[in-house]
Amino acid sequence: MSLLEIEGLEVTFGQGEGRVAAVRGASFSLARGETHCIVGESGCGKSVTSLAIMGLLARGATRQAKRMEFDGRDISRLTEREMSRLRGHRIAMIFQEPMTSLNPAYTIGSQMAEVRTRHLGGTKQAALDRAAELLGRVGITAPGMRLGQFPHQLSGGLRQRVMIAMALMNDPELLIADEPTTALDVTIQAQILRLLAQLQAELGLGLLLITHDLGVVARVAHRVSVMYAGEVVENAATADLFAAPRHPYTRGLLECLPIPGKVAPGAPLGSIPGMVPKLTPGFTGCGFRSRCSLARAECAAPVALRGAPHLYRCVVDA
Amino acid sequence: MSTPAIEIRDLEKRFIVKQGLFGTPRHVRAVDGVTLSIPTGATLGIVGESGCGKSTLARLILGLLPASAGSVLVEGQDLSRLDRRARARLIQPVFQDPFSSLNPRRSIGDIVAMPLVAQGVAGRETRSRVAEMLEQVGISPDMASRYPAQLSGGQRQRIAIARALVLRPRILLCDEPTSALDVSVQSQILNLLADLRRSLNLTTIFISHNLAVVEHIADTVAVMYLGRIVEEAQAQALFATPRHPYTRALLASVLTPEPGLGVPDVGLGDVLPDPSNIPPGCRFHPRCPVAIARCSLQTPPRVDGAECHLLSA
Ligand SMILES: Nc1ncnc2c1ncn2[C@@H]1O[C@H](COP(=O)(O)OP(=O)(O)OP(=O)(O)O)[C@@H](O)[C@H]1O
Ligand SMILES: Nc1ncnc2c1ncn2[C@@H]1O[C@H](COP(=O)(O)OP(=O)(O)O)[C@@H](O)[C@H]1O
Ligand code: SF4
Ligand code: SF4
Ligand SMILES: [Mg+2]
Ligand SMILES: [Mg+2]
Repeated sequence: MSLLEIEGLEVTFGQGEGRVAAVRGASFSLARGETHCIVGESGCGKSVTSLAIMGLLARGATRQAKRMEFDGRDISRLTEREMSRLRGHRIAMIFQEPMTSLNPAYTIGSQMAEVRTRHLGGTKQAALDRAAELLGRVGITAPGMRLGQFPHQLSGGLRQRVMIAMALMNDPELLIADEPTTALDVTIQAQILRLLAQLQAELGLGLLLITHDLGVVARVAHRVSVMYAGEVVENAATADLFAAPRHPYTRGLLECLPIPGKVAPGAPLGSIPGMVPKLTPGFTGCGFRSRCSLARAECAAPVALRGAPHLYRCVVDA
Repeated sequence: MSTPAIEIRDLEKRFIVKQGLFGTPRHVRAVDGVTLSIPTGATLGIVGESGCGKSTLARLILGLLPASAGSVLVEGQDLSRLDRRARARLIQPVFQDPFSSLNPRRSIGDIVAMPLVAQGVAGRETRSRVAEMLEQVGISPDMASRYPAQLSGGQRQRIAIARALVLRPRILLCDEPTSALDVSVQSQILNLLADLRRSLNLTTIFISHNLAVVEHIADTVAVMYLGRIVEEAQAQALFATPRHPYTRALLASVLTPEPGLGVPDVGLGDVLPDPSNIPPGCRFHPRCPVAIARCSLQTPPRVDGAECHLLSA
């Protein structure tokens, strides 16, 4: 049974004329011990999707879904209190910018300990011991000293490690990480991703990793969902997606990359003409049609995902 | 041999940073002895981790910052002796963020015309040169009356490039020009830069932390670490056979979109470089996975463009 099951997720912001559809149909599932990546360009709805799952959408957002289950339980109708219990305990989240989720006024140790005592109880000392252990696990040398430091005394890479350790304080089953390495150097990114992949495998976590970087996807994901203009347009096992992308957008995207060994230095790169459409109220159909060389009349009506297990949302056979 | 487009010698930039009211001032050695030469028409890529001094070096080359020591010659002329207008005709920058680098209250036509106006070019000639330049970067001249807020990120970066090239400078310095852009837009800008470079015979400096992009676009590559260029080589040679241990770690950490390879162990530990506290000997030694005893004591000599004790016999 899957750990997380999302079907037909829709999120809109605003009301009346100003309404925009940020997510128009996100469907995917995630098993225990699996890493699932959501990939797409900025604004396509990745972060909104993760916030919708966590029940953390901004006020004024409307969320609908055909199915939203965590460990077999419908989470679309939980009260704020129930959801908050789940978030603190069984589901954890890591954001792109660790400074926004760390409180500058408290030490690393007291913030980490608080997370545990608030949700699981126990003594502060026990929680601090656990924090030190986890800081060691995420490759931080001298964890005892770090516990007494404040967030601004740490480098970006160390803060992100602290965030990972903090997310693991309550032994979650599902970890949602939204661009956890985007702000970091490639060297630090590789270290953090390697760590995440190791922890994920050892602890049997379900990991939902959001990124715009196809290199990251290729190296860590078991399965991947490609989002475009609020929809999941392709969902496949990672190797299949890269070997034979089925959606015209995914194909176009892969051709834009300067891949050493595949694209000769200096040779022109592929490109996708045009721009992402504005998702005004009433926008339906394939969001890629204004840029797609295969577009035809049917593309303006809603297009279904098909072709399981390598799903794609396109009227043209791949 | 003809004069190189850019000749940099023993360039240094130190900043003094005060910590708090009573803290002792720290000396940040942002650029610490850089020597470089870029032949006319070539593209030099500069790579390195955040804070290693890339943008500081860029600002020194542009003449936007005074050097603490050393010299920058652009087309044989000492930049610090040229006035702003003369500098602007020689070298122009394109920066990372197309959102903050364009004045939101000016139309894009005005933005591209500004360097011409500053040089005293007027009236009809300005308009026709702006229109021609917009066309060259793939923006329809009809759009000249629009404002930056009405453009996408990629379009804004095209405007920034048009503004940089409208004076027909000899050298274009791009500091992370595509880092804020999506990949489908990045590829358009890289293609545009490659075309313009060829058609205008530009010398280009291309700073990026994206090594795949640098490998794609550069003729030679300089790898910076804590203010120094620790390795410099032809792009193909550098990517095929990196010689400096830091270059090797940097290349190892690139996640190419090849499934099944997993995430490599970069082996750099968690000690981070601090330009206000540069380690003695080889500045990379606290992170170097193959350091030997000598490394923490003696500065490595530069041999064939790389600074590492293991490379000198
Ligand atoms: N005006 C300044 N005053 C004090 N320190 C500075 C100043 N400008 C840069 N520095 C310091 O100099 C060092 C080099 O900075 P620089 O901006 O050149 O790095 P970079 O390689 O461009 O990094 P990034 O990849 O993050 O853009 C850093 O430690 C930085 O904090
Ligand atoms: N609080 C909000 N109010 C209105 N629109 C929002 C809000 N948050 C996100 N959006 C819009 O929803 C779309 C998807 O955003 P997001 O999920 O953040 O994209 P990304 O894929 O880059 O993470 C974008 O068009 C964004 O502008
Ligand atoms: S549904 Fe139509 S517009 Fe969309 S990707 Fe397929 S062919 Fe192109
Ligand atoms: S000189 Fe020593 S520490 Fe420096 S890179 Fe070479 S082996 Fe490593
Ligand atoms: Mg986001
Ligand atoms: Mg910089």
